[in-house]
Amino acid sequence: MSWRAQGLRTWLLQRLTAIYMALYLLLALLVLYSHPVTGFTAWHDLFHQPVINIATIFMFASIFYHAWVGVRDILVDYVQPQPLRFMILTLVSILLLALMLWVVFLMFGVLQG
Amino acid sequence: MRFLIYRYHPEKDQKPYMQAFELDGLDKNKMLRDALLLIKKQDESFTFRHSCGEGVCGSDALNINGTNGLACITPLSSLKEPVEVRPLPGMPVIRDLVVDMAQFYKHYREVKPYLVVTDPEPEVEFKQSPEERSKLDGLYECILCGCCTTACPSFWWNPEKFRGPAALLQAYRFLADSRDQAHDKRLEELDGPYRMFRCHTIMNCVNVCPKGLNPTEAIHNIKRMMMKDVV
Repeated sequence: MSWRAQGLRTWLLQRLTAIYMALYLLLALLVLYSHPVTGFTAWHDLFHQPVINIATIFMFASIFYHAWVGVRDILVDYVQPQPLRFMILTLVSILLLALMLWVVFLMFGVLQG
Repeated sequence: MRFLIYRYHPEKDQKPYMQAFELDGLDKNKMLRDALLLIKKQDESFTFRHSCGEGVCGSDALNINGTNGLACITPLSSLKEPVEVRPLPGMPVIRDLVVDMAQFYKHYREVKPYLVVTDPEPEVEFKQSPEERSKLDGLYECILCGCCTTACPSFWWNPEKFRGPAALLQAYRFLADSRDQAHDKRLEELDGPYRMFRCHTIMNCVNVCPKGLNPTEAIHNIKRMMMKDVV
């Protein structure tokens, strides 16, 4: 059994991303509770910190990867015609990649600004 | 007591239908199998599989009031009327309550349900400590009735590719056996998106198993073994 084993890797990454998202959410709630974000400058200052910035990028990467695995699981079960499944998978992957690029674009913007 | 029985004769019937039967003066302490035998006396064209009559052979696995189970160990007193009896779901029907189990057995064969030993065999016997032997409890008792696999939505959607709970329980039965030497091969064979990882821990298999076994736990243990090999 190697780390490249396809089924195991996907399954494991889905769980690891879930753990990361749960931890991020918990920390985010704590941070927002102790330092309420009141306006744009406060929001900007918060995400200007590299740790929070990068952690947020990873958070969205986790969401999108987790969603990708989940949606693929649903499609493999419920959409049996191969061409249709392939088409939906392509659309979903384009959507998720576009969203990821947007997140990276936003976060790097805050980091530089 | 009222019964609704699934009937289908592929050479005579256009499509399946439910036939009503009424049995008077039935002893409710008897099992569903006894009632089915009485129904067969009323209508000899009615067909179902059965053999040992005590939950050992696994021949009379049926869908009873929507839940899979063995007719021979399902007391009539536990059933709501009319009792709807259908063949196991997700399997091709041969006639009435008899289904074609070929796919089920194919998956069972694929997991190599026997000891694979590469070392020279011991002269007298394989030795196993009581602790090693106890790891097989809850695994070896499977009677291959098919209740679990045919209750599994993952099997309904991908019957050719997903091994199903029964075959996976057997896969783990040999992975857990201290005498087996095909550990790596067995695990590799189960990788990929379909064979085992179609399991989404729905746990219908655990709900219906007439022997009280837990295929979901076995699948979980296989994943743990895979993890151990990777880390």
